[in-house]
Amino acid sequence: MVPLEAERHPILRAEAVEYRYAQHGPALPPVSLAVEAGVCLALTGPSGCGKSTLARCLTGLIPHLYRGEMRGTVWIETLPTATTPLWQLTERAGMVFQNPAAQLLATTVENEVIFGLENLGLPRAEIETRLEEALARFGLAALRRRDPRTLSGGEQQRLALASIMSRRPAALVLDEPFSMLDGSAAAELVTALTELSAAGTAVVACEHRLGWLELLPGARVLRLEGAPPPTPEAEALPPLTFRRAPFTLHAEGVTVQRGANVVLRDLHFEARGGEVLAIAGRNGAGKTTLLRVLAGLQRAEGHLTVEDGAPDLGLVFQNPDVQLFNASVREEILYRIPNPDLALYAWLLGALGLERYESTPPLLLSEGEKKRVALATVLMRRPRDGILLDEPALGQDEAHKARLLRLVRALADAGQWVAFTTHDLALASHADRLLLLAEGRLIAEGTPAALLGDDALCRRAGLRSPEQAAWG
Amino acid sequence: MRGADPRVKLALSLGLSLAVMLPLAQVAAALALYALLLFWARLLPLAARQAWRLRWVLLALFVVDWLVVSLELAAIVSLRILLLTGTFTLLVATTTSDELRLALLWLRLPYRYAFSLSLAFQSLHLLEEEWQTILEAQRARGAWDPPRNLRGLWQQTRELTALTVPAIVLTTRRAWALTEAAYARGFDSPRRRPYRQLRLTGLDGALLAGAVLAAAGLLAWRLGL
Repeated sequence: MVPLEAERHPILRAEAVEYRYAQHGPALPPVSLAVEAGVCLALTGPSGCGKSTLARCLTGLIPHLYRGEMRGTVWIETLPTATTPLWQLTERAGMVFQNPAAQLLATTVENEVIFGLENLGLPRAEIETRLEEALARFGLAALRRRDPRTLSGGEQQRLALASIMSRRPAALVLDEPFSMLDGSAAAELVTALTELSAAGTAVVACEHRLGWLELLPGARVLRLEGAPPPTPEAEALPPLTFRRAPFTLHAEGVTVQRGANVVLRDLHFEARGGEVLAIAGRNGAGKTTLLRVLAGLQRAEGHLTVEDGAPDLGLVFQNPDVQLFNASVREEILYRIPNPDLALYAWLLGALGLERYESTPPLLLSEGEKKRVALATVLMRRPRDGILLDEPALGQDEAHKARLLRLVRALADAGQWVAFTTHDLALASHADRLLLLAEGRLIAEGTPAALLGDDALCRRAGLRSPEQAAWG
Repeated sequence: MRGADPRVKLALSLGLSLAVMLPLAQVAAALALYALLLFWARLLPLAARQAWRLRWVLLALFVVDWLVVSLELAAIVSLRILLLTGTFTLLVATTTSDELRLALLWLRLPYRYAFSLSLAFQSLHLLEEEWQTILEAQRARGAWDPPRNLRGLWQQTRELTALTVPAIVLTTRRAWALTEAAYARGFDSPRRRPYRQLRLTGLDGALLAGAVLAAAGLLAWRLGL
């Protein structure tokens, strides 16, 4: 393969590139694209269409680290990725992964940045110059001695960017960079990407939701259509096989303290059966801790009661992998359920679109499908009062979210209480009521329309939509 | 001790762990001396917490060894486990993975292995966090309850075995995510130049000499020289 001439070609270029993982079917249908210096390209499409796979192809991680079958050609500047050593490719194209916490390697912020600079073979003085520059540019100077794992989600994302951009690559590829960030952190990331793009970096970002990326000046959009469209479904689900009598949940003075850190501070609220409640706030505001308290997994001061005593609520965790271990979806859903209600089982399979996966091992399913199996395992237990969902929309496309909302509404119609945490304001707007948390305190509760229309309140809770960010 | 050179802490831990070769009275004496060292380094409460976590394993081994062999063997096995736990605590609690990597590189271990070992070392404490999350997730779906009697203990043991599946999945995923992240920043580059170097201070020298003397003394004692 002969390298192309630099001056005639863009920084990233793919020609009919397609990929098939060794264990699965096709992951990426043929795609061609070109991204020049200073251009921002948004890659979008439904779950499973191959966005993350394409991102890895564009940075050379595929084919160097994966054993699947790649067709077509990708060039980074003039270098064909298939025949160039990976270290030469990563000097030219950097990649920031979806979960910022999972890509941090060092025990201090400055060591995290230094790691990538050492690998460039730079002299000590140059490393120091670039380190200071990166810490200042991404607002990390005051955090330089901190353990990266103790940073907030937004700070971790900035550190991931700093550790890549200090290497001065010509292209930056980001895999779902907004999915784990609250509105304020997402707005900060938009600013950082705008500056990088203006300075001549070619930026490629994969996202389900285009809202944030559309704020980048001159952003181009490429939609991948790899996955088949979801099968049409009925507007509403048939009624559930059981019904909960009306009840009210009372939370009084709920406080959680871990060492010197008060995670939840004197929370008072009420919730009724049949209601859908969204809980929103910045990363670290205490949302997940509140769900753990409600599920009885976290000890707390204060009182949490329903008329029948302590509430009985099932919790679906953010990461479905911690809940699944059986050999098939059927075994997983029916695990340790004495005298299972098979009508409910059939209802769940239908409502969650899992019929064709009954005999499939859950861990082989996609992330969205695993989340639905985890939800079914909790519902099959028939928690008396309702369910709690921790970030159910994370990494899910619109079709998955629509399916989730239908299910949530069916549960509420059966008298169950459903509460979910989310950064997704569109999802929150479908709830009956919204709780806003900030630094462990309940700062507001009311209808989503009323709270999300209050710009000052949303800023305080770190809930900025792309539209609000666009207006400053 | 917390600020000591990682090579010194490694030598001290390895040297003192040689005491496991000694007979009962000497192991007990070595353990007492080691407890004094941990007290001086303000690490005794941490080591005690680590030992407390092993209480059921220690108790089970003690009872089995006592019933099957002798009280003396039961005592010496328990003391050896405590001693090894203590040496491990000293290293884990006071050394960062970055420091460990530098120490391993100084020992001429190839960079690839030094880097992987230091990352594994860094992930040790995450294993417990992840295990707790898995247990909570199973409780939340009604698939696991703490045992209330012996029958429950047997049932729980079988269920915990099944839960190693998500534990392995999570560990593998984390390891892969870190591998990708390292390669994305040029981990395989042949041009790598280290930014930091280890330097021994006077206190490091004294501790290192103490570690070497302790190891030599323990070996001589064991061999009857």
